[in-house]
Amino acid sequence: MTELELDHVTVTYGDTTALDDVSLSVADGEFFTLVGPSGCGKTTTLRTIAGFETPTAGTVRFGDRDVTGTPPEDRGVGVVFQNYALFPHMTVAENVAYGLHFADPPNGQSRDARVEELLALVDMGGFGDREPGSLSGGQQQRVALARALAPGPDVLLLDEPMSALDARLRDDLRRQVKRVQRELGITTVYVTHDQEEALAVSDRLAVVNGGRIEQVGRPEDVYREPASRFVAGFVGENNLFDGTVAAVDPDGVVVHASDTDFRVAGGVSGAEDGDSATNAWDALAVGDRVTVSVRPAALDPAISENRIDLAVDQTAFLGERIRVDGDWHGQHVVCHLADRPETDAVTVGFAPADARIVAVDD
Amino acid sequence: MSDRSVDDAVRARVRRFVDAHALTVGVAGTAVVLLLVLYVPVGIVFAEAFSTDGVVSLSRFADVFTDEFYFGDLANVLASPFAFGEHAVAIAGFLGGFGVRIATLGPVSYPAPVLPTVQTGLFGFTAWQALLSTAASVVIGLPAAYVLATFEFRGRKTLRSITILPFVLPGILVASGFYAAFGESGLLNDVVGVVGLHQSLLETDPLLVVILAHAFYNAPLVARVTTGAWENVDVHMVETARSLGASRRRAFRDVVVPQLLPAIATSALLTFIFTFMTFPIVLALGGLQLATVEVWVFNAASNLEIPEAATLAVIETAISLALTYVYLRYEAGGTGLGGSGGTTDRERFLPDLRALDRKRVAVLAYGVLAAVLFLTPLVALLAESFTTGGRFTLDNYRFLLERQRTGASFQTRPLPAIRNSLAFAGGTLLVAVPMGVVVAVVSSRDGRGRTFVDALSMLPVAVSGIVFGVGLLTGLVFGIDLPGPYRLQVTGPFAVVAAHAVAAYPFVVRNVKPQLASVDRTLVESARALGATRVRTLLDVQLPLVWPGVLAGAAFAFAISMGEFDSTVILASQSDTATMPIAVEDYLGRTLGPAMAMGSVLLVVTAASFVAVDRLGGYVGEIQR
Repeated sequence: MTELELDHVTVTYGDTTALDDVSLSVADGEFFTLVGPSGCGKTTTLRTIAGFETPTAGTVRFGDRDVTGTPPEDRGVGVVFQNYALFPHMTVAENVAYGLHFADPPNGQSRDARVEELLALVDMGGFGDREPGSLSGGQQQRVALARALAPGPDVLLLDEPMSALDARLRDDLRRQVKRVQRELGITTVYVTHDQEEALAVSDRLAVVNGGRIEQVGRPEDVYREPASRFVAGFVGENNLFDGTVAAVDPDGVVVHASDTDFRVAGGVSGAEDGDSATNAWDALAVGDRVTVSVRPAALDPAISENRIDLAVDQTAFLGERIRVDGDWHGQHVVCHLADRPETDAVTVGFAPADARIVAVDD
Repeated sequence: MSDRSVDDAVRARVRRFVDAHALTVGVAGTAVVLLLVLYVPVGIVFAEAFSTDGVVSLSRFADVFTDEFYFGDLANVLASPFAFGEHAVAIAGFLGGFGVRIATLGPVSYPAPVLPTVQTGLFGFTAWQALLSTAASVVIGLPAAYVLATFEFRGRKTLRSITILPFVLPGILVASGFYAAFGESGLLNDVVGVVGLHQSLLETDPLLVVILAHAFYNAPLVARVTTGAWENVDVHMVETARSLGASRRRAFRDVVVPQLLPAIATSALLTFIFTFMTFPIVLALGGLQLATVEVWVFNAASNLEIPEAATLAVIETAISLALTYVYLRYEAGGTGLGGSGGTTDRERFLPDLRALDRKRVAVLAYGVLAAVLFLTPLVALLAESFTTGGRFTLDNYRFLLERQRTGASFQTRPLPAIRNSLAFAGGTLLVAVPMGVVVAVVSSRDGRGRTFVDALSMLPVAVSGIVFGVGLLTGLVFGIDLPGPYRLQVTGPFAVVAAHAVAAYPFVVRNVKPQLASVDRTLVESARALGATRVRTLLDVQLPLVWPGVLAGAAFAFAISMGEFDSTVILASQSDTATMPIAVEDYLGRTLGPAMAMGSVLLVVTAASFVAVDRLGGYVGEIQR
């Protein structure tokens, strides 16, 4: 059984630092996601775990095995890439069997039986004799998954496996990957730039930005208590207001932004580096420059506190709600309302408990 | 430690040992062959240039640079570099050596380039004929690229594939073909002789024939490279330009031309390098009257004036290496331009006769002229082999049989020549293909050594074949003393195969490397993650995917070996190692016939073997030189 650990890992190419002192640990059987914008280092992290990149500093451990200098073929990892990467000169079955040339099938199975089993697992039974080129993208990706799992790897690594597929197919395949992962109980690291996907599939996720990890946690924790301004802006949609602390009391603070005083009582993060401690109001002082985050769904015309007047730019029908994009003192504000505003101005408020300090600059 | 990790550790160690050593053995083998067959022999000859009476000195170079024979009026500048006042006159004199004169062939007057003069010297003239040959190749090649890229017609793909053929024709064969077409007793003379004219173009204007022969070789190259770039121009870009208001002509100028220029420039540069180093064509068609540097190197070498040959060869190699460097830089920089290989939209050439507009008439006229240029030498070669004095005869082939039966031991006999050519070509494949693959693998990998490997592997293309031959002769064939009681000596067939392999392997590299680089990285990484070592990945994934490139490289290696003349002529002095090209040269005498008969045999065997490899791989039409 395999836990996975990165210990102060740094990866540099020449003058560029792709990963900067990254530490994280993934529990045995966990579905762990690395999410972040393109170029943030999430793929480099995955490639370092796979052994395609060698850390400039730090160690990579699988359980108690230090694999930092181990070549990829000796690590026991299964990798699935965005572009499927099926060997075009081999049939589907030959692709799945490829890894079994270097490792005996688990449970003393025959090679053919193992291939059959894996193809059945990903609902591709009967496709063994097909050429990869004759399959659809979704089918190819399922074969790639079967191929990666066939030798019984300790760790499964998925590098944006859904990005090349269309939305509906992506949902189906995502559920299938999740089902297979749970069935096998295999430690899995999943890389995506799609925060919705990350929130949907992960047991835990890490938000990566600029070669560093901004926050690690369960999806709901990261969503509800973003540890930094970046996470607040990246995971889910958020309105961010910059202002100055005008008053501090035991239950919250008053933040002055533009011409308005906001009462904020939803918590504080970012007071100390990497610390997502909540309700640490005493860490704040009058005069601190802070960023307040408020989810679009928290804004409501019926709430009488923290009122702001929006000039409506656009409205969009989302099904359950109406999305309103508006302007408040030159700042773009998004809210999800029950009804389409009848005029081009709307006043909304938010509860102090729904507002959170996500960045402090003192 | 668990059992699993002990197991892992042992397995990993064994694997890594095999992995590391399989590649190392390949690299070491290649390095040893290159060292012994290329660098040491060529180095030994080059060393001659840097020593006078056993002392290291540059005086030989000073002599060459200040000799009017070599550098014409420019020698005065080089002799007294600080006499600035006289430079203008000297340079004007040097440049005045180039120009155009009016020549006549029978009743026809035409402008022709001037012949070599004292003003330009040997190097000046060599550059002059290379420049003219390059211009001719571009002028003849570009319309072909236009036709191939913009029109759809029956046989277009075949024609596009055929553009590779001239390159694999042995130089001596092309020279013989032009000799047969334009020479004193050649086809053209026989034809115009019917109407009472009697004038040989080769005699009145050998330079023009040399330039045409160079264009025969290189215009298809220009056409090929440019067609490739043209087909990569995304038609959507042109359509965007049109929709933004550009006229058809304007869109062509603003969108298409900039994307073609790098291809034209690289192919022109390559043509210049090839024709600057030209040898068999000039030797056979122009003789010493049109001597280029390489011919002079050959002349000096055959008079056993090795230091002089070496000095000239060092200068020549320096020039061609510099040009090759520019070419490699330009080629690397130009590749980014060629879009995503967008959709190409070709017009039908002749949907019906009414579509025959002025443009299409011009294309047809060009087609006829190009066909004449490219078919005449080959037709003439075959025709001359079957005729004597205008009458059909089999005498020439009878001569071959006769020579085979009664040839003296010092004479080149046809059958052994054919057998040698095939055997050497086979041996070349066995050596050059693994070497080329190893170099391609090493140089397509990221790393600091890559540029170095690139440059080293291009060296055989830039070094004079003559020097290479002389080096092999004085080095390997006569033997090199090794430390201790050992002596390295490679003789006869082995020396020839070694020379051919070294000349041929860069073509394997050039065909395999780009394909290797285009194999998706994730395929390689998937194999590695599944447990395959680097070597296994190479064997299981990369090589099967680049197999067409390997086959194409092999086809080239085979053809290069079949046609190799420069170093073979020096190494195969004994008749038992003579090849077909040597036999052709040997039979070139007062009568054309026998040589033409031998040349026809060479043509048939070369074409047949190339087609055979092509059929085997089905890919040769798509490769690069």
